[in-house]
Amino acid sequence: MGIWIIGLIAIISTVLVFFLPRPQTQGKSFWTFAKPLYENYQPVVTRWNETRPPEERINMVHLQLQALERRLMSSFLSGTPGPDLVEVERATAGQAFRGGPQDIGLSDLTERIRKEGLLERINPPSLALWTRQGRIYGLPHDVHPVLLAYRADIVEAAGIDVSEIETWEDFSRIMAPLMADRDDQGRPKRYLLNLWETNTLAIEVLLLQAGGSLFNSDEQPTLDSDRNVHVVATLVSWIAGPARIAADAPEYTASGNSLKLQGFVIASVMPDWLGGFWKGDMPSLSGKLKLMPLPAWEKGGLRTSVAGGTMLGLPKAGRNPDLAWEFAIHLYFNPDVAVAFYGKTGIIPPIPEFWSLPAFNAPDPYFSGQPAGQLFIQQAPYVPARINSPYYNFSLACLTNAVGAVKQRALDENNFSSDFLSKTAAQELAKAQAHVRRQMERDLFVDKKE
Amino acid sequence: MNNSFNSTTSSPSPSARRLLSHTLIHSVLILAAIITLIPFAWLLASSIKTSADFFTSVFLPTGTGWGGIAWDRLTLGHYERLFLELGIARNLLNSFFISSVTALGATLAASMGGYALAKFRFTGSSIVTSIVLAALIIPAPLLLAPGYLFIYQLGLLDSYTGLLLPAMAPAFGVYLFRQAIWNSVPDEILESARIDGAGEFRIFFTLVVPLMRPMIGAFLLITFLGMWNNFIGPQVIFQSPELFPLSVSINQLKGVYSQDYGLIMAGTVISIAPVLCLFLLLQREFISGLTAGAVKG
Amino acid sequence: MKLCATSSVKAAPWLFLAPFLLIFGAFTAWPLARSLILACQQTFGPTNTVFVGLDNFRFLLTDPLFWTALQNTFVYALSSVTLQLPLALGLALLLNRPSLRGRTLYRLIFFSPSLVGLVFAGIIFSIIFEKRTGLVNVGLHRLFPVFDLDFPWLQNYVMPALILASLWMYVGFNMIYFLAALQNVPRELEEAAMIDGANAWHRFRHIILPEIKPVTSFVVLLSLIGSFQLFELPWALLSGPGPENRGLTIVMYLYQTGFLTNDLGYASAIGWVLAVILFTLALTQQWFNRKETRS
Repeated sequence: MGIWIIGLIAIISTVLVFFLPRPQTQGKSFWTFAKPLYENYQPVVTRWNETRPPEERINMVHLQLQALERRLMSSFLSGTPGPDLVEVERATAGQAFRGGPQDIGLSDLTERIRKEGLLERINPPSLALWTRQGRIYGLPHDVHPVLLAYRADIVEAAGIDVSEIETWEDFSRIMAPLMADRDDQGRPKRYLLNLWETNTLAIEVLLLQAGGSLFNSDEQPTLDSDRNVHVVATLVSWIAGPARIAADAPEYTASGNSLKLQGFVIASVMPDWLGGFWKGDMPSLSGKLKLMPLPAWEKGGLRTSVAGGTMLGLPKAGRNPDLAWEFAIHLYFNPDVAVAFYGKTGIIPPIPEFWSLPAFNAPDPYFSGQPAGQLFIQQAPYVPARINSPYYNFSLACLTNAVGAVKQRALDENNFSSDFLSKTAAQELAKAQAHVRRQMERDLFVDKKE
Repeated sequence: MNNSFNSTTSSPSPSARRLLSHTLIHSVLILAAIITLIPFAWLLASSIKTSADFFTSVFLPTGTGWGGIAWDRLTLGHYERLFLELGIARNLLNSFFISSVTALGATLAASMGGYALAKFRFTGSSIVTSIVLAALIIPAPLLLAPGYLFIYQLGLLDSYTGLLLPAMAPAFGVYLFRQAIWNSVPDEILESARIDGAGEFRIFFTLVVPLMRPMIGAFLLITFLGMWNNFIGPQVIFQSPELFPLSVSINQLKGVYSQDYGLIMAGTVISIAPVLCLFLLLQREFISGLTAGAVKG
Repeated sequence: MKLCATSSVKAAPWLFLAPFLLIFGAFTAWPLARSLILACQQTFGPTNTVFVGLDNFRFLLTDPLFWTALQNTFVYALSSVTLQLPLALGLALLLNRPSLRGRTLYRLIFFSPSLVGLVFAGIIFSIIFEKRTGLVNVGLHRLFPVFDLDFPWLQNYVMPALILASLWMYVGFNMIYFLAALQNVPRELEEAAMIDGANAWHRFRHIILPEIKPVTSFVVLLSLIGSFQLFELPWALLSGPGPENRGLTIVMYLYQTGFLTNDLGYASAIGWVLAVILFTLALTQQWFNRKETRS
């Protein structure tokens, strides 16, 4: 009987497969990866498509980040169907930018940008991320300053005044009373900071804020720098040991969100784009959160950081690049579009002349009526620079693993003294540095700067 | 039937012992069955819960309905969304298509090959047999990279053919059919058919195949199952989403809608239900196919 | 009985073998040969290839990621096989009693997890094993309040989580093999032993075990070979290799290097190491079998 069933399935499915052909979409394909961006681009795309003939319409596709990277690289390397326009995240850019100018699958946009006079209009650090050897390969989408979002309802109910907080030491000290409540196993019912050895976002944010870095300007790895050692040792002291103030409420998971709703962690690092995600996934936190600049690592130190970054690229194999460019400009450089995006996603554009628009000063009900846009804009000029390298993700993973390794050693030996943590961090980071070095030296395809 | 587990002389009566061991055995079995079924039950319950209820209850949301369960809060919304908005029907179709066509093609090729090796004496038969046996050792991951390269060179990337064609030469199948045909098809009926002037293909399809029904049914099913659950093949060969089978598309669902556990669970239910149903209908053939070659060979 | 061989009979076996041989030649034999060359190259996608001689293998020897993958895979394979098989055999023994009611139902229930694809199982378990809110932690905490609700299966205890998942999936599958083997044990042997006064344990050790040895060694080999190729379960469970690469397996590393970093050459080198390992396993099993049959 099995034979007949399988045979029947085969016949029916074959017939269906051949009569439901692959959807041929007219117009140009535009790949994007961030859900809030996709949702907020849709009205723009719809309006565009209403006024265009079929072959000039934009067909926007939403892909998950890793899937987009895989398919994009496959289209560059193996010639499988690719997009005409693609949003590339900083994490993906590494692979896409590997090799010299002739190898990069994205078109050189330098001339176009210059011709339209955009060079002067764009916030310079935002452009730097997409530039290699003086050529610009992407239109920047953002600045992405980082603030600290905290549960104002809980903090203010405890009578704490956050304006007194200037450094992370102040933060631990002043917020400490919030950790006084214990559960029946003697552990705090809530923690101050959303940070963990697996929370790559927070680790990167804090590292960059502190002045640590993964690469120097020659694109050589610098994982074992003294500053990095200090950062790693400090982070470990926050997530484990007697001075612990942090716990894990992972992003993008329903269980992490449930913990945030319960107030299990008081404060999280908040890049402007993360606000858009939180608004969509945790609407009930509206009015309970407020933003403040990141507490500095030292008095007078940097009070912001940067996380993520998106650019719009035109693949060399894309069709009708002029049309794609026209749409790209429309999407990224239209003040009405920028304002509308900000309203939904909280992302501020990389164009300083837009920053004075009144919309960015409007009270944001999610953040208890604070003018979130202005708060981010105030930090925009101080956003730390990053070097983009094909090995950025790998190095970040090695550094994150080092944090975990140091934590484990400290737990094993029950030693959280700053001496021990510093020494262990130095050892682990040296290992990580060696690993990245070896991997990079072996690579014959990465563009080696002479 | 002696059911005792010890040989002490001062022991309760045989029937009491039997009752004790019977109860013990059934308790163990029931416990094992419950542990086995819990993930399925959880899966099913999660697929019909709203996101709001997901963390407030382990299985079904409690409430004022019959049996203490809030039946009114259960929803088929996730399934609706999968079919109407997210196009899972296409992925389902792809899974059916890929699995059934591979099963048929592989079974045909393997049975024909096994027949040749079992019932014909010809020069080169021992070489081919050795190749088949050696191929059993080759791990599929070894062929992943060069296979991808070759399929790229053939221009078959991102096409059904690129996935289906290579899957139709299972050495394991040839080996199984060779054993089975050797054991079950007597030479005499083949000879008498040849004497009667029947052509070779006619002999194969009218005499050999009917004798091999159980093996064919079993091999069809295990090939179908293997292809249905295959992830790495379609992940590597396919790039366009309209080709994706359920294994690839549900995994991507987890990436895009990582918050929406109910949606992901509903997608998983859709992915495993057809195979479970198939198994329910065709248990005996499944199991006999698996154990063939292990117990006999 | 022998006829003079007509040309159609002579060509017939080759015609029957043709589909298999053609496809096998094209998609197994040729890639296998090509993989030897690939393993000596470094590539960026299928079109950029550079010959590097044995450099891939040299790098492999000192690649910490590879050794992590190797270690993880070995630990997983040995642990899961050592745990799975006694459980499978035990269940089979329990089910083997002819007077047992509901045996078909039990068989159905125990076998069903193995029908679930590894990808789907990984997705299910990635949510079941979550900290604080996952089914396992909540359930265990309710049963044993000392159990830590925040037990980090997917971050620090990845290997136990993988092994538990594999137990759920494959104990029933292996049980089927053992059941079939047990049912082939001649009843006369057992009955003779019972008459001689042997108890259940004695019967098990000296009659049943030897009789099922061939199936046991087949199942062991099959399980080991399958375990060494583990990829989809941890990949779906952890959405990658997991923290500190605790879930990194050999095939996962192969996939990452070949299709995410796009170095098909290094991936082939890893594939060859895997093949050598499996080949050694198979040879070892053959050697053990021959030793057994001789003694």
